[in-house]
Amino acid sequence: MLKVSEVVLDFGGIRALDTVGFTVGDGEICGLIGPNGAGKTSLFNCITRIYQPDSGSITFDGTDLLGLRRHQVVRHGIARTFQNLALWPKLTVLENTVLGAHSLATPRLVPSAVAWPSTRAARKRVDLRAWELLERLDLLDLASHPAAGLPFGTLKRVELARALISEPSLLLLDEPAGGLTHAEVDELAAVVQGLQAELGFSVLLVEHHMGMVMSMSDHVVAMDFGRTIADGTPDEVKRDPAVVAAYLGTAA
Amino acid sequence: MTTVQSPTPTPTPERPARPAARSGPRVVVRGSGAHRAAQAVVLVLLAAVVIWGGSLDPFGQGQLTRAAIFALAIMGLNFTTGYVGLLSVGHSAFLGLGAYTTGILVVNYNQTAISTIPWAMLVCFLVGLLVGIPALRIRGLYLAMVTLALGVAFPEVVARLDGLTGGAEGMTIRRTLLRPPDWSGFTLGEKDAWLYWLTIVLLVVTFVVVRNVISSRYGLAMHAVRQDEVAASASGINVAAIKLVSFGVSGAITGLAGSLFAMYIGSLFAEGSFTVLAGITLLIGLVLGGERTLAGPIIGGLAVVLIPYYTSGIGQGQASAVLFAVVLIAVIFLAPEGVAGGVARLARRWVVVVDKRPESIGRGR
Ligand SMILES: Nc1ncnc2c1ncn2[C@@H]1O[C@H](COP(=O)(O)OP(=O)(O)O)[C@@H](O)[C@H]1O
Ligand SMILES: [Mg+2]
Repeated sequence: MLKVSEVVLDFGGIRALDTVGFTVGDGEICGLIGPNGAGKTSLFNCITRIYQPDSGSITFDGTDLLGLRRHQVVRHGIARTFQNLALWPKLTVLENTVLGAHSLATPRLVPSAVAWPSTRAARKRVDLRAWELLERLDLLDLASHPAAGLPFGTLKRVELARALISEPSLLLLDEPAGGLTHAEVDELAAVVQGLQAELGFSVLLVEHHMGMVMSMSDHVVAMDFGRTIADGTPDEVKRDPAVVAAYLGTAA
Repeated sequence: MTTVQSPTPTPTPERPARPAARSGPRVVVRGSGAHRAAQAVVLVLLAAVVIWGGSLDPFGQGQLTRAAIFALAIMGLNFTTGYVGLLSVGHSAFLGLGAYTTGILVVNYNQTAISTIPWAMLVCFLVGLLVGIPALRIRGLYLAMVTLALGVAFPEVVARLDGLTGGAEGMTIRRTLLRPPDWSGFTLGEKDAWLYWLTIVLLVVTFVVVRNVISSRYGLAMHAVRQDEVAASASGINVAAIKLVSFGVSGAITGLAGSLFAMYIGSLFAEGSFTVLAGITLLIGLVLGGERTLAGPIIGGLAVVLIPYYTSGIGQGQASAVLFAVVLIAVIFLAPEGVAGGVARLARRWVVVVDKRPESIGRGR
């Protein structure tokens, strides 16, 4: 269970997060909505230790995430994708995906240097899993293609593959449907739901595509100006006056 | 029109200009028969060059030994500056540290030359780890300044520690101390041939080790750190550890080159061989040969040893330096990614290597 409470984050004079708090239960899909600049990505960055909150706490299954170093977050079962992509452009789609397994089977220098059999076996296992995920995400034909030059929507799926190969218990998705057509959005929602049912991870989903969020989520959290303004079932949040106001741009 | 006439009339001029009428480059699957065969051909050619080098006259063989030593030193530099992107201008310090470790152990402590190699590598590994610490916080030009300071400081330190190093006078390793070991079958008179083969063997071993690392998931992680640290750490890569270790390993490999250099040159003058100028020479070799390539350091080693030799035959002093600079600029202009990188780019027009799909994948297609 992810528990975010009273998180505050300042950038100079700007308060990006202002006492944000909510929980994401095990095996749950939680939608996180809010207008641009509401602080959704900043919150992701706090959870994954890219930003250091000024106050508040974030725990996952009892572990204090704010006490971890960046690379340790995924070892505790939290994987993410990035709103504006953070792939390695010169590496192939397959290599990008394989790197996501670093936390699961961490390669060591000396065994790698002598091509130790167990290292090669681990590589084979990771490669196979990567191929399976690429097949699942319809990326098979691009496996040996460098990430550079592929369409935005395709790269979003590569990021998804890279996150999934770490076998997360919580997946943070920052606008995964960005750059996708309507048909692709439905396909992506189906793939994520299918994998979630099969592997049992929970999801925190930031998305502007309301149809996708509302149909997939077990519960939805709405943010505006760095605050949580609503938290409930998709139907409750959709009808919440504060949410309606935030999206229409009038004062709540 | 001044275009070159092709021997056969150009077919279908309305087709958009493409280099060949074939449908794109040939696709070769990694590890397939064709891929293996191509690798075997390259291996046989390299072996032929090495054997030819073994039969050269002493001067030519000496030049090849020197080139191989520099190739090793550049391989070390490539490990951290190429693959992880930590710019080091002061790798001359590791070359010198390796050389002096061997020199001191042989001259002052009566060790056989070959037994000092692991010590030279260990000392350079540890110093490399230390130098890697600033690389955790800074990169690019700032890191270049720190490593520059290291390169500048090294000859000064050697001069201060004159009891151990001979100071500014230098340190001479008598030829008899560099006698090939009995088990090698080489006599004292064949010392240069012995050193040639020793260097070649160590170069090949280091090449294989570096290739193994770079093609492993550890190597992918090094690349990931260079290109995007945030993405790397989000995938669980300990960025700090990769940087430190890569600097240590880099130092150790260049230190190995230094140890061999001490055996090759026999007399060590820090003010002559291990100034920052040597560090810059290593960088030039890396850029010229092609950073982040396996062949690059070998091409670079040959270039930094052979180009000055040939250009010095054409002009003296300044003129040869200018010629060297011209060659450098020409290569960078024609192939910004170095000779090896440029050749690889050209080759990709004809052949691309793709990964082999596991049997269980994509059967429905
Ligand atoms: N690195 C940063 N430096 C300064 N301000 C930032 C930074 N990151 C985010 N912000 C600010 O924090 C606020 C929230 O941004 P963000 O988290 O990206 O919102 P969202 O993802 O909901 O669109 C915005 O006002 C944005 O300008
Ligand atoms: Mg955002």
